Order: sequence, then structure tokens, then C-alpha cells
Amino acid sequence: MSEPLYQLVYYSRNAIRGDETAFAKAIAAILTASRRNNPLVGITGALLFNAGCFAQVLEGSLDAVEATFERIQQDERHGDVSLLALEPIAARSFSNWAMGFVGHSRENADRFAAIGLDSGFDPERLGGQRIHEILRELVIQEEVVAA
Amino acid sequence: MTALDSVSANTHLQRSAEDLLENLAHPVLLVGEDGKVEYANIAGQACLGGWILGLCFQDLFPDHLETLSISTLAREPFVLVSRTHIRFRALIGSVTRGAVLLSLFPDTSQAPALSSEGDELTGLLKRRDMNDRLDQVLSANSNSVAVHCLDLDRFKVVNDTLGHGVGDLLLRKVADRLRTACRKEDHIARVGGDEFIVVQTSVADAKDAERLASRLVDLIGRTYVLSGHTVNIGVSIGVALGEGCVVGRDLLRNGDLALYEAKRAGRGRFRVFEPGMDAALRERRELEIELRRALALKQFEVHYQPFVDLSSDRVIGFEALVRWNHPTRGRISPADFIPLAEETGLINKIGEWVLRTACTTAAGWADDLTVAVNISPVQFKADTLVDSIVSALGQAGLPPHRLEIEITESALLDNTDSVLRTLHALRNLGVQISMDDFGTGYSSLSYLQKFPFHKIKIDRSFVQSAEAGSDSEAILRAIAGLGVSLGMAITAEGVETIEQLERIRSEHCTYVQGYFTGRPVPADRINSFLSP
Ligand SMILES: Cc1cc2nc3c(=O)[nH]c(=O)nc-3n(C[C@H](O)[C@H](O)[C@H](O)COP(=O)(O)O)c2cc1C
Repeated sequence: MSEPLYQLVYYSRNAIRGDETAFAKAIAAILTASRRNNPLVGITGALLFNAGCFAQVLEGSLDAVEATFERIQQDERHGDVSLLALEPIAARSFSNWAMGFVGHSRENADRFAAIGLDSGFDPERLGGQRIHEILRELVIQEEVVAA
Repeated sequence: MTALDSVSANTHLQRSAEDLLENLAHPVLLVGEDGKVEYANIAGQACLGGWILGLCFQDLFPDHLETLSISTLAREPFVLVSRTHIRFRALIGSVTRGAVLLSLFPDTSQAPALSSEGDELTGLLKRRDMNDRLDQVLSANSNSVAVHCLDLDRFKVVNDTLGHGVGDLLLRKVADRLRTACRKEDHIARVGGDEFIVVQTSVADAKDAERLASRLVDLIGRTYVLSGHTVNIGVSIGVALGEGCVVGRDLLRNGDLALYEAKRAGRGRFRVFEPGMDAALRERRELEIELRRALALKQFEVHYQPFVDLSSDRVIGFEALVRWNHPTRGRISPADFIPLAEETGLINKIGEWVLRTACTTAAGWADDLTVAVNISPVQFKADTLVDSIVSALGQAGLPPHRLEIEITESALLDNTDSVLRTLHALRNLGVQISMDDFGTGYSSLSYLQKFPFHKIKIDRSFVQSAEAGSDSEAILRAIAGLGVSLGMAITAEGVETIEQLERIRSEHCTYVQGYFTGRPVPADRINSFLSP
């Protein structure tokens, strides 16, 4: 397995309609699909939801990243997908996560605050590198909390 | 042997078994209970069109209608034809709980069957089959049919810059997205390099058709990632509803008319055919015929609008503006005929005439006055621009530094390199070059970095809405500051009142142009500006 690794970062606007339960259901479905599909093709990453936006990091072989992104791109549950980065990486940042998730929950609020995101998350200003860092930080914290 | 040893020997064995499977010369697929491909070895991916994991068996073998299961199929070879039009003999083996392992052997004994008619690259229908199916569905119930004519925007740029390989990949992904958005009963065809037609069936009402069209515009316009490149294209769509129309040809013509309107409205959108579109097109055709004659009939005229140096309050030059005096329609605004002239290529001749006329007129002015001439992006595409300018200057006897050419950002959008070469050639001649309408379009600062413009002209909209403290004022000030630091002069356009003029003065603009400092006038009235 010496295929070069790539990382893709994007953000998008949530297009899921309905109340909170409908939303929670949709997120659960997305995560289930991700955790089922991603390991099959060696994709790891993290997904963040906040203030009406998704941000996601995908990492894996270029083929797998492209194919997965293409499928996600076709998903009606979000729109205005903006690609922030697609570049080769030396090592995975989310090697333990078929798709780590950072939701917009109350417990999370403190952690968002800790990295200055409490005022709302505006991915456009953050850029790919910063989103990647934030996701990494949050996922690691989540790992610690879960442990 | 310890337990540990046996484990590692086992994994070693497994790994090599996987390698063997992966490298078998014939395709092997594992299809899950849900009908989706869970595994394909290298040969499988190569034969069936690349990344196929997660796709439905049915999508890969569109002609095979039964669901695939060990119980419904005998353990005898059977024939499968892939969407890539390869005919296979297939053998089946069951794995666990409904999953099926398929071995495929390319069957060369027979010529490709049935779907050999399809488009090789995308697996979609070709025009002829689409026509047949369209006529079929129309004769069954024309009211439930809609036709969508699609044309990709900017596909050619992708093909030219990233190569045909990427262009082909892109077309395949577009085809995939079309399949995603359409229903199984709809028919999708590729009818030209980057043109597609969707025949939508079971259309309840116009809303249904609009919903699909807007979904297609959204979906196809989303970013593509192809071999590590990110690619953005768009699609324009013309929609025509069946509504009692029983001849496919008419419906397709209506769809094309609507497509034409969608493109004219700015691309990246859809338009539904309306009966008036016919008339609108006829009208444009007439205008085009008249435009072709206008040069010969000397219906064009050049007017000149002064620009003023703010440090000395003196007129230092004039912008040449073309006017079309139509014998029956009266004066036709450039906004109405320049786009048509650009579309039809007539702008090359008209532009050259304006250039020669302006140079000849300016040669008769006092020594230090310049003349500014607009050059359309279309003129940059012709290889003859530099030659025409050299010849116009020579014939008029106008020194190059007294000619200024104005280009818009859109000239730099396509073929940036060749446009930059032309601009440098002109700059080396001594011609001055300015960026027109800055602040509209893309306003990419990278263009300012790519070429040392002499002058930036700030679009009139910023000047006219630049009340104190407004966003426009901030933008105005920022662009002016940018000009100062890049060593480019700044012209504020559209100045109409004394207040605007004073504000411009305080923002460090270099020049102004607008009704307040002088309206465009015919050549013979220019002296009135110059005599004190
Ligand atoms: C914001 C967002 C992120 C997603 N991330 C993934 C992902 O990482 N992996 C994945 O397989 N599907 C992801 N999906 C879901 C896909 O778009 C698609 O629905 C799914 O892959 C279909 O899988 P299935 O056919 O196995 O149900 C995502 C969807 C959304 C809206």
C-alpha cells in the first residue's frame, strides 16, 4: 500500500429540511453510510456540522477520494459545495476515523468556544488548512472524552 | 509452531490470496445482497469503467433485468453485456448471506449486441436512438413528456487546458450525474461533443420539468475532481414540454430555441420554451442582417467623450464610442448591438473600422491628446489584432503613445497567455493599455498582477453610489489606493455631479470621465472642449 495519500477539504450549506429530529436522522444516515463505505475504500476523515454548514475532510488514495467526493457532491442533502483544498499528504490525520463527527451539541459549545468558534462558524474565512486543524483538534478531544 | 506464528502465516496466506484475486486476468466482482458492487479486481474495474464500487449491478449491466441472486440463476454460464458494451460469459458463486461472486469472461465469439448503438464514452444513447424513443413516448402520451436540451458551459476550456483525457473523464462524470438526477424511465443521450438531451417521461406538469432542469443545473454545476484537478463547468438548458406536440423534431427545435435563450441570459441556467421565442429569434436574425450591411451603408459613427486630468483640470484625451444610426429604428444603443456583433464575429470588422476612424481623427488633434479605443475580447481571439493596430497607426500617422486601448477583464478569462502576449506586444509598441469596467465581472486582482496596465477604469456603478461612508466609497478608495501602489493611473467613470467629482478628487483618482466633465460628441464638435 504505497499509493500516495491525498486530502480533500470542503464545506457546504446544509439543505436538510425539517425539524431537529429529521436533521438528527439525516446525520445518522450520512454517518452510517460513511462508516460503511469509507473503510471499504480506505477513506478516513471527519465531518463537522455547525450553523447551517458542513465541513468535511476526506483522506485516502486519490482515486478513492475522488470517487467518494463525487458521490457526496451528488447528495441533495447539501449544496453550494466549495472545495477548499485537495493536496497530497504525508500521513493521515484521522487514521482511526472512518468518519469522525463533530456535531453542534451543547457539550460541544464549550469546546467550540475554546477555539474561538462560538460566534458562529464561517468556513469561507477559515480556509482548508484551518478547518483541517479544527476538525483534528475536535476529533481528538472527542476521542479523549469517549475514552 | 506457536499460535502466533500460525496467525501471521495465515494473514500472509490471506494477503497473497487477495493479491492473486486482485491480479487475475479476468474480471471478478462481489455483488452484495443490496445489488451493489462491493469488490472489483483490477481487470473488473478496467473493463467496467473505472471506479465502480458502490454502483448497482443493474447500472453496470443495464440490459440484465432480473435481480442477481444465486437462487434465480443456474450454475451455468450466462451472458451479460456491460454498459461499456463488452459482452461477457458470467459464472456465479455464492459467498455469504445473499452476496454473489461473479467471474466474467470476455466473450469475443459474438459481435457486441444490443446496446452497441450507445455512445462509447459515456454509455448514453446516441441521437438516433433518442429520436426513436422520443417519438415513441410522444405517441403514447405527449402531455407527460418534456425534452431538456443541455449544453455544457466552458467545457472547451477544460479540454484545451487540461487535455482530452480529463475532458473525457469529465464527460463521463457528467453522464453519471445525469443518471443520478433522472429516473430509470427517462432517456438520456449525448448528441454532440458536450451536448446532451434528456427525454423526461411521466411529467405531471410544468413544475415537474422545471424541477428536473433546476436540479440538473445545480448538480452538473457542482465542482468536479478529476485526476487531482478541480474543474468547474456549468450547464445551460432549454426545456420544451410535450403538450400535444407529437413530432419529436418540433419539440427538439423548441428545446433548442429555449437553450439559446438560456445561454443569452448568461448561461448556467434553464429556460422553458415559450411561443414568443420564435419571434424573438427572428427579430435577432433581422438585426443581424442589418448589422452586416451597416458598415457598407456607413450607418456607424464614432463619438468622443473627453477625460480630464484631475491635477490640472485639463482634457487630456477622448474615448472613442461607436454609434449606430439606423435609418428606421433610430439610434441603436451599443448595449443592444455589440453583444450580437460579438456573437456573430462582426465585431472584428466593426472594431477595426472604429480603430482606424479614431486614429485618423486623433491624428488631427493637438499633439498631446490621446484617443482611447475599446477592444472586444473577440478581437483578441483573432491573430490579426496587433497587425491591424500597427497598420491603423501607420495609415493615420498617429504616434503609438497617443493611442490607448481599453480591454475588459473578460478578455483575460480565456486564453490568458495568448492575450497577455498580445498585450505585451502592444505595450512594446508604445501603445497605452487600460483595464475597463474594473469592479464589475470577476475583478480578479491577479489580472492586475499579470499585466502592467497603464490605467484602471473604475466602473461607473461605484462612482454613482459612492455616498460618504458607503461600501462603494470604501471600494473606490481601495481601488484608488491599489492603483497608486501598483503605479497605475485611475480613471473614475460615470461622474455626473459636482459632488461626485469632489469625492473622486479626494480619493486620489487620476482622471475622470462622465457627463459632468463632458458628454460624447461627434468628431467635428471636439474643438469646443479644447478652446478655453
Ligand atoms: C455532508 C455529507 C457528507 C457525506 N460524507 C460521506 C462519506 O464520507 N462517505 C460516504 O460514503 N458517504 C457520505 N455521504 C453520503 C453520500 O452522499 C451518499 O449518500 C452515500 O455515500 C450513499 O451510500 P449508500 O449507497 O451506501 O447508501 C455524505 C453526505 C453528506 C450530505
